[in-house]
Amino acid sequence: MDTVYKGEHLLPGHIGQFFVVLSFGAALLSCLSYYFATTEDAGKLNSSWLRLGRIGFYLNSIAILGIGVCLFYIIYNHFFEYHYAWAYTSRSLPVYYIVSGFWNGQEGGFLLWTFWQAVLGNILIARAKSWERPVMTVIALSQVVLGTMVLGVEIFGVRIGSSPFLLLRNALEGPIFSNPDYLSFIKDGQGMNPSLQNYWMIIHPPTLFLGFASIVVPFAYAVAGLWQKKYKEWIQPAIPYSLFACMILGTGVIMGSFWAYESLNFGGFWAWDPVENASIFPWITLVAAVHVLIVFKNSGHSYFTATFLVLVSFVLVWYSSFLSRSGILGDTSVHSFTDNGMFWQLVIGVLVFLVLSVGLLIVRWKELPITKKDEETYSREFWMFVGAVFLGMSCFHMIVVTSVPVWNAIFKTKIAPPSDIVKHYNVIQSSFAFVVTILTGFTQFLKYKKTDVTRFFITTGIYLLFAALITALVVYATGVYKLNIVFVLVMWGSVYSVVANGKVLADAFKGKFKLAGSAVAHIGFGVLMIGALIAAGTSNVISINNTGEGFSPEFAKEQNPRENILVYRNQPVKMGDFMVTYTGDSISAPNHFFKVDYKQMDANDKVTKEFVLKPKVQVNRGQLASSPDTKHYLFHDLYTHITMSNAISATEGGAESASAHDEGNDDKNYDAPVSHEVAPGDTIKYRDGYILLKSLNKEAKVQNIPLADSDVAIGANLEIVSHGNKYEAKPIYMIKSGNVFDFARKVDDAGLKLRFSKVIPESKKVEIIVYQQPESQKKFIVMKAIQFPYINLFWSGTIIMVIGFFLSILRRKKELKTV
Amino acid sequence: MKKSSIFGLVVIAIAIAVIISVYSNSSTYGSFGDAQKTSSELHIIGHLNKSKELFYDATKDANYFSFYMKDNNGEERKVVFTGTKPEDFERSEQLVLTGTMQGNEFHASKILMKCPSKYTQDKLEVTEVKAKQASL
Repeated sequence: MDTVYKGEHLLPGHIGQFFVVLSFGAALLSCLSYYFATTEDAGKLNSSWLRLGRIGFYLNSIAILGIGVCLFYIIYNHFFEYHYAWAYTSRSLPVYYIVSGFWNGQEGGFLLWTFWQAVLGNILIARAKSWERPVMTVIALSQVVLGTMVLGVEIFGVRIGSSPFLLLRNALEGPIFSNPDYLSFIKDGQGMNPSLQNYWMIIHPPTLFLGFASIVVPFAYAVAGLWQKKYKEWIQPAIPYSLFACMILGTGVIMGSFWAYESLNFGGFWAWDPVENASIFPWITLVAAVHVLIVFKNSGHSYFTATFLVLVSFVLVWYSSFLSRSGILGDTSVHSFTDNGMFWQLVIGVLVFLVLSVGLLIVRWKELPITKKDEETYSREFWMFVGAVFLGMSCFHMIVVTSVPVWNAIFKTKIAPPSDIVKHYNVIQSSFAFVVTILTGFTQFLKYKKTDVTRFFITTGIYLLFAALITALVVYATGVYKLNIVFVLVMWGSVYSVVANGKVLADAFKGKFKLAGSAVAHIGFGVLMIGALIAAGTSNVISINNTGEGFSPEFAKEQNPRENILVYRNQPVKMGDFMVTYTGDSISAPNHFFKVDYKQMDANDKVTKEFVLKPKVQVNRGQLASSPDTKHYLFHDLYTHITMSNAISATEGGAESASAHDEGNDDKNYDAPVSHEVAPGDTIKYRDGYILLKSLNKEAKVQNIPLADSDVAIGANLEIVSHGNKYEAKPIYMIKSGNVFDFARKVDDAGLKLRFSKVIPESKKVEIIVYQQPESQKKFIVMKAIQFPYINLFWSGTIIMVIGFFLSILRRKKELKTV
Repeated sequence: MKKSSIFGLVVIAIAIAVIISVYSNSSTYGSFGDAQKTSSELHIIGHLNKSKELFYDATKDANYFSFYMKDNNGEERKVVFTGTKPEDFERSEQLVLTGTMQGNEFHASKILMKCPSKYTQDKLEVTEVKAKQASL
């Protein structure tokens, strides 16, 4: 018998699921109709297949919007009977993060992707003219495949796709779901992973997915060109779309890198994590593709390479989606999703487009306009082609290494990735980067077809020499020369690229404006490389700590740099050029900020620079997640993050005060007490400083305790000086009705408890008992601080490159109109 | 010979060089027993022995963390990591260590740990910690 559940809101889910199925069905209809419009109705102006194809695509777009609205309604109203709302959001989540909750899960990512593809499809319907039918067939096909990913329907016992409208009780198993009133026990969702609660997470995923989605357009043109045997015509309209995809995907990837740098704690902007790598595969191949597309347009050479690179870029989009969503990277990546039963479906997704591409190339192989003539050695097309191939090789290397778990799965081997993977990537990728940056420079001075050789060699030689001089200076000043020689070479290549393209840009202002876009983009890339090299190569851990005791002779023998430093609260520690003090905490749930004060002093101990950083630790789902804080300067950043602290617990907020009330056990929190007999004016030394008994106050009062005439209450005015900080405390000694009491006072910031326990009339002294917290009970943080020099070059290089892409799009669009 | 064929050969040569360098650079998943025999870095998969002591005391040494891990062959070794104890280490279900044997201790330069997510049984959360800041 079916249980009737109370309090569920099933309607939005039903409507949403209807839209899911509709979007899939409409995409299928559109794809088939466009197919027949291309084949059956070829040449017919008034085609009913074409109309049907459009209707299908419009329906698909509306359905996708409908899915979005339903899902947003569910998340916004906190309907936790839906797994998606429960797993990724909570009631306390601010509205602007509810937006990012939308694409928190795998299903949301697919929705975003299919949404952007629908937008692009509508633009193409309006603008592609004679290309509409074949191009839209491919785009609708891609919508069909994406549609299956969120279908969530069981066919012949196989679940196809995973729907965002899955109910919690269907997603999980538990005795709780046999209770018709189970919802009254589910008060709140699990909430969003704290590291994702960052404003970059609102903008980064949509940008990234727009980038992925827009690669479908050049792919569709390439397929359409092969299919319709319009081998040359597809190239020109595909160029602006390819540039657009490069621009957006590049922006999206670097946004992710900036988010990681600002709010994750791996200490950098690029970690060569497999999932990160996967997101730039298609970018690299598409950048290479853009170059050879232009080569083909201008010279008729490199047709196959251009087509191949465009096709492979889109296949790689699917491959990277497979890598990050199938769970296959579980042993090598930190942020891969786990498999939610879609492994083989994702494999099929990759295969559909791979087989389509390879099949078309084979079928049309003999007809492809491949030139038999060799390119001139001193022609621009030849060297652009070489550059594109080197970009392809660099991507090839990344794929080989990132896919190690895939090779293991296929060949049943047990290879592990290189153990120092970061170094491995850096060295090999830099070798490719060196070649590519040099090519981005001198190729600009070559002409299509044929160039005056002598003049070319002279200018190139001069610029290379000039770049070498600058490189020598930069490398010496920043300390890059201490690194592997290959990094110095990349620096040379990058500087050369900036200088040479600077010359091209200068010419552009004099009238040859056509080359401005490429010059700006290449300058941006060069600056980006320079920034990445210096920032990553000379980043400097300043929290070096060699004070540890070491626990075994072997351990001490190794000269491991220890990169975490222990800082007690209010106890300044010298770290590099800085005095660092942990001055306190400020808590606004779920964020716990640690205030870390940095002071820089000159030779005379005068403070020259002072600032406070507030790295934070977030408490969520009983787990702690730490986020750095960074002081930005124009020429370097100072990055700090907390690796450990005893000032925060996973249950912060509730249980903390419980022990404080338990007065009887309080003494256990301190070391054995030490009593001192002192007179006013005397000082007591203790571990962290000294205590001065300034005076005694014979008329001390204790709140809520009225004193009779025979009673005595004396307060001791104590001043505590610890690590340059002063505190006051007034413990009280009292005789009331013949009984002796004393009221201890705590100075938490100094880790002290002070008792005024006795008056000794004979010697006119009093007894003060000092309790001090053991070192381990004192509040401390363990932190890591890193300096990143010139990292702003990396970010600004990216922005310049994006501007360059944008200028190029404008130029290529203009060419389209004039033709 | 045509220029493009020469270039094609160069490309193939580089591709082969890439594959060889990746292969020779790649390490292997092994056991503590394998690690004893070699001085090169190895990846070892295993799980934490929760009944033995996890030692980390920031007040004595903020960069010394030791624990006992059993590899997939059931062999157990003391593991030392030059860094702080990662959050939720006790809850880890599986560990992937990278490092070398030093005497009887395994010195890990990198720990990748998988923790079961507290609420959903079917999900694992993966975190990685490194002893040293990555550099070029």
